[in-house]
Amino acid sequence: MQTWLILLPLLIPFAGVPLTLITRKHLHLQTLLAVMLMFTSLGVSLALMVSVLTEGSIVLQMGAWQAPVGITLAADPLGVFMLVMSHIVLAAGFLYAAGSTEKVTSYPTFYPLFFALTTGLSGAFLTGDLFNLFVFAEIIVISGAALTASADDKYGVEAAYKYFYISTLAAVFFLLGVGSMYISYGTLNFADLANRIATTPPTPLTGAALAFLTATFLIKSAAVPFHFWQPDFHAAAPTAVSAMLSSLVVKVGVYAFFRMTTLLFPQVDMLNTLLVVIGVAGVLYGGFGAAGTHNAKRMLAYSTLAQIGFMLVGIGWGTQLSLAAALVFTFNHALIKSAMLMLAGAMASRAAVKSAAFDVLVGVGKYHPFAGALFLLGGMALAGIPPLNGFISKLMIFQSGVQSANYVPLAIIGVASIVTVTYVIRSFIKIWFEPILEVKPKQGDSLIAPALLIALSLALGIWAEPLVALAQFVARWVGDPTAYILLVLK
Amino acid sequence: MNFLTSIVIGVLFAAGIFQILRRNVIRAAIGLILLSNSINLFLFTAGAYNGEIAAYTDMVGQYSDPLPQALVLTAIVISAGGFAFVLSLLYVVSTRYKTSDSDDVQGLKN
Repeated sequence: MQTWLILLPLLIPFAGVPLTLITRKHLHLQTLLAVMLMFTSLGVSLALMVSVLTEGSIVLQMGAWQAPVGITLAADPLGVFMLVMSHIVLAAGFLYAAGSTEKVTSYPTFYPLFFALTTGLSGAFLTGDLFNLFVFAEIIVISGAALTASADDKYGVEAAYKYFYISTLAAVFFLLGVGSMYISYGTLNFADLANRIATTPPTPLTGAALAFLTATFLIKSAAVPFHFWQPDFHAAAPTAVSAMLSSLVVKVGVYAFFRMTTLLFPQVDMLNTLLVVIGVAGVLYGGFGAAGTHNAKRMLAYSTLAQIGFMLVGIGWGTQLSLAAALVFTFNHALIKSAMLMLAGAMASRAAVKSAAFDVLVGVGKYHPFAGALFLLGGMALAGIPPLNGFISKLMIFQSGVQSANYVPLAIIGVASIVTVTYVIRSFIKIWFEPILEVKPKQGDSLIAPALLIALSLALGIWAEPLVALAQFVARWVGDPTAYILLVLK
Repeated sequence: MNFLTSIVIGVLFAAGIFQILRRNVIRAAIGLILLSNSINLFLFTAGAYNGEIAAYTDMVGQYSDPLPQALVLTAIVISAGGFAFVLSLLYVVSTRYKTSDSDDVQGLKN
C-alpha cells in the first residue's frame, strides 16, 4: 500500500500555484501547464481511488505523530469518492478555461487562484481533522471570492463581497464550533472525536458545537434559509469558475453533513430531521425560484438550491439506500450542473452583449445546433428523464423514500421535481427555438469540456451499475463509523 | 481572571455582531475584525486552563495546552488575509458605487 499516493492529489494542485505564477508572462505555456497538471492530478486521484477500493483505505499521519496528536490525512471510500468527483469536474473546468474567450482567464493570477481552489477542495475531502477542514474551507472561500471579484461581469465585485462576508461569518461560527468541540472533548481528530462523543456523556458545549457546525455547513452548502448569497455569486462568477462553485464548492457542506450524520453525531436524530425539512424546503424554493428567473446562469444557480435539497433529504433519511442515493445524486449533479453552466456561459460568450440574460440569449442558439443538443441532454439529465444519469439519481432517492416509508417529504419533492422540466424546457426554447435577433455568428468559448461532461452523464445514465455499486459500497462504509475510527486510531 | 476574560469575549462578540448589522460597509468591516478577534480569544481560552501560564514551562503539570495557541495563530493569519481582501473589495465597491451604504450596493438585483 503506497501511503504517499494520498499526498499527490493535494501536492500537485498546490505545486500548480507557484508553477503557474512563474510562467505568468507566457499565457499559452501557463495554460498548457495548468491543464496538464490538472489532468495529472485527475489521473493520480483515480489511481488513489483504485488503490483504496482494492487494497483498503489509506491513512497518513503527518510528521509521523500518531493519530489524536498529529494531523491525519485519511483516504477512506467517502473521501475518495468526493475527491474523484471533484477532480473530474475540475479537469473539465480547466479545459473550459483554456478554451474560454473571457478576459479573466488571461489574467496572470487566474490559474494560480484556480489551483488554490483545487487544493482547497482536495484537502477538504482528504483531511481527517476538524480544524484542517476549516483551513481548507477558507482556502476555497478566498480563492473563489478572488476569482469572482476579477470576473468580466461588472457586478463580480459586489457578488464576491457578499459571498466573502457571509463566508467569513460562517468561518466565525465554524471556529466557535471547533472551540466548543475542543473544550468538550480535547481533540479535533474526526475519529477520536467520534470515539469520545460516543463513549463519554455529553458536556454543556456539545449541543452548542453541534448547532454551530450545522449552521456553518448549511451556509457552505447554500441550503435554503442560508442561500441568499448563492444565486448572485454563482451567476456573476466567470463561467469556468461558476461551474466549479455551483457543482463542487457547495458539496463541501454536503460532504461535511455525511461525516456529521454518520461519524460524529450518528445518534442525534434531530439533525437528520432538520436536514430533511431543510432539504424539502430547498427543493420547493429552488425549483420555483429557478422557474422565475430571467438569466440562464441564475436559473442554474437556483436549480442548485433544489438539487442540494435532494441530497440533504437523502442524507437526512439516513438509511443505507438513501445515503447511496445521495452519493449518486452528488456525483451526477456535479457533472450535469457544471456542464449546463458551461453551456450557458458558452452561449453568453456568443451573444451580442456578453450576458446570460434570456433577453440577450434569445435565438443565439440557431447557429449552434451542437450546443443545443448538449443543452437539451443536460436539461433532461437535470430534470431526471431517462436515459440520462439524472434519472438514476432521482430514481434512487424516490426508491429510498418508499423503502423507508417517508411519504410526505417524498410527495413534496416528487411534485417539485416536475417544475425542473418546465424551466429547463423554457430556457431551451428561449435560446434555441425563438426567432433570431442578432444575425452575426460569433466566435465563443470552446464546447469540448461540456461535451465531455455530457458524454459522461449519458454514459452513466445508460450504464449506471458501476457508479451505483460504488455508491452502495461507500454507503456501507459510512454506515459503520467504527471502521473509520479503527482505521485512523489503529 | 477567567471571569474578566469571558466578559471581554462576550462584549467583543456583541459589539462585532452589532457593527456587522450596520448599513455602513466600513462599520461592518470593523465588526468583522471585532468578531474574529473575539473568536480568537475564545479559542485561546479553550486551552488556557491555567490562566496566564505559558505553554511551555519547567513546572511539570503547570503548563497550558499548546494546541489552541497553534489554532489561534492559524486563525489570526487567515483572518488577517481575509480582512485585507475585504478591504480591497470595499475599496472597489466604494469607488464603483460612490457610496458607503450597503443598501445602495445592489447592482445584482436587476
